[in-house]
Amino acid sequence: MTFNEQELVKGCKQRNRIAQKQLYDVFGGKLFAICLRYTKNRADAEDVLQDAFIKIYENIDSFRNDSPLEYWLRSVVVNTALNHLRQQKHLKELDDIDIHHNGIADKEFTLGNFQMQQLLELIHELPPGCQTIFNLYAIEGYQHNEIAQKLGISEGTSKSQYSRARSLLQQKLNKEKRFDDGSVRNKQF
Amino acid sequence: MDPSEINNFEEEWKKAFQGASETPPPSVWEGIEARLDEGKDKILPLWWQSPRLWYAAASVAALLFVGVGLWYANDNKQIESAGENKIAIQKPAEQKEIPSNPEIANSTTDKPSRDGVNENNGAASAEQNDAGSSAIASVTTKKDKLRSVRSQRPSVVKGESLAGYSKEKGLDTNNSKVAKELQTASPVSPSVPESVVAIAEPAKELTTTAEMLASLPYRNLDVHVQKRYVFFRPQTQIEEPVAPPKHKEYWAALGLMPASFNPDLKVKEAPMAFSAQNVSNKKSVSGSSESGISYALQTQGGMRLSKHWSVEMGVSYLKGNSNYQGGGYVLNAYNSAAANVLENALAGLSSADASPADKMNNFNNGALYIDVDKKVSNNYHYLQLPVQAGFTINPDKRLSYSLLGGMMANFFLSNELESASGEIIRTSASDDIYRGMNWAATTGLRFNYRLSSKWNANLTGSYQKAVSSGFKSNQSLESHPYLYGVSWGVRYSF
Repeated sequence: MTFNEQELVKGCKQRNRIAQKQLYDVFGGKLFAICLRYTKNRADAEDVLQDAFIKIYENIDSFRNDSPLEYWLRSVVVNTALNHLRQQKHLKELDDIDIHHNGIADKEFTLGNFQMQQLLELIHELPPGCQTIFNLYAIEGYQHNEIAQKLGISEGTSKSQYSRARSLLQQKLNKEKRFDDGSVRNKQF
Repeated sequence: MDPSEINNFEEEWKKAFQGASETPPPSVWEGIEARLDEGKDKILPLWWQSPRLWYAAASVAALLFVGVGLWYANDNKQIESAGENKIAIQKPAEQKEIPSNPEIANSTTDKPSRDGVNENNGAASAEQNDAGSSAIASVTTKKDKLRSVRSQRPSVVKGESLAGYSKEKGLDTNNSKVAKELQTASPVSPSVPESVVAIAEPAKELTTTAEMLASLPYRNLDVHVQKRYVFFRPQTQIEEPVAPPKHKEYWAALGLMPASFNPDLKVKEAPMAFSAQNVSNKKSVSGSSESGISYALQTQGGMRLSKHWSVEMGVSYLKGNSNYQGGGYVLNAYNSAAANVLENALAGLSSADASPADKMNNFNNGALYIDVDKKVSNNYHYLQLPVQAGFTINPDKRLSYSLLGGMMANFFLSNELESASGEIIRTSASDDIYRGMNWAATTGLRFNYRLSSKWNANLTGSYQKAVSSGFKSNQSLESHPYLYGVSWGVRYSF
């Protein structure tokens, strides 16, 4: 799709409805995919997307073009999703857990045979805290100290929750048996 | 274990969701639109405060002064002013929230215990990375450390979350600090050595997260408390495409116009020497003008008033060449002096210059009329001052089209008429035969091609027609010059 990002932002700053719709059309799909990863169902994801776009339109004036527009939009969506989860008290119960599953040698690990929809379902099956931390660490690329700061938890909690998420996902993937034998080896120590 | 594959798990997941897209249902946009429309009814018209609107009014008044009607509308400016008001309201409101949060106070008291936890965790994570070497030993020590962390939990966890939360709330002031900390931490964090390729990737991620942290104020936005700010948005704005708000632009242009000029010169009644005979009386008024190849050198200055409208003025020099055919000439049988009809008519009009009058006297007695359809050259020099309004179609595209219309003051400089004997009779403005200034209406179509942000090339087809006679009133000669021309030019925008 061809569009001029700066013109689009300018139009949104002027509260031009056509520009707002165009921004939604261009980025709505990608941002909705993010919402789906953080929530448990489509209805919640739609609510988050709606809230996020209202925030985007209301705060577009402070977007300064010094970073790519998509990064900014993504961070607004992620923060909105986290607020949504806080509101639903999904992040209140986060605590350290015993499972410490960091020794997986993921040599030759691949998700090649899985469809995005299947992977999304696996993520949805994770406990809410694990799901959030998995998203933030593995997909968004935040570090544990940043996640700790974002969620108001300790870095250790973030790490252990992530380990748990990773372990659960490994188990689920093994169950699916969609990948080649030996592609995932769990070495626990 | 191959160190280059340690992040394979994350990389695979990241890759799987990179560029993932899912079309949201139409109800989402409908909901967004409904929420955006909520605040629209309570509108205060702030647009009239915009000074630009007053400039517009002044421009319209100026255009009326030169006799050209112009409508000036520039809606975007109103939006801008409304947008600025919104920001002004929003900023103080956000600042107020921060001190009102009672949790901030807790952050300082909880800090020592929190630091303790982080140290322990840091130690644990360092151990985790070396896990491959001595498995059992590290597990025991790690578990001990984790237990020690957990033993502090009852007092720590609550304070910690509060501290974390309040710190997040106070991020407006600590933004840059946090971002810096992250950037300095980035080279340290991947403690396991990796291959060159594998190192490059996390480094990139860290830059990304630092950028995301730079926009931390958005993390503070609370979904629970939604603020509605009223801004003015005129109804017409909905239909308008996204357009750059700045329209004021000045330009200077140069051009050369090859043209077809016709003075449309007519002899209304037979001049003195021709009026004596019946044939010459009739024939003398039958001549007509023919267009000649002419040219104009044009300079122009213009101003863009709005997205579509512009006004321009200029100074041009016009060399209008033409021929006059017919009317015959008279010949003096005694001294062989000859005069064609135009020559004789001009002589009849002249009061200041003695020589044409003398010539006229040559034919008072015994003049012979010779009915020859001879063609004589009749050339003009004018200085032109056009004032035109322009309406531009596709103003922001590379190729735009302008419709032009306006008035032109033609200042008569001189006329060169070929006499029957082949001499050139030169008439200047001071001879009082031609009007010093003659009004003409002008219209045209211009193709404007943008070469760069400053330079444009243009091609203008124009038509000019004098609205009054080129001669002083109540005379036997009449002239309503008209011109068709195609001008080639360049324009420089400031």
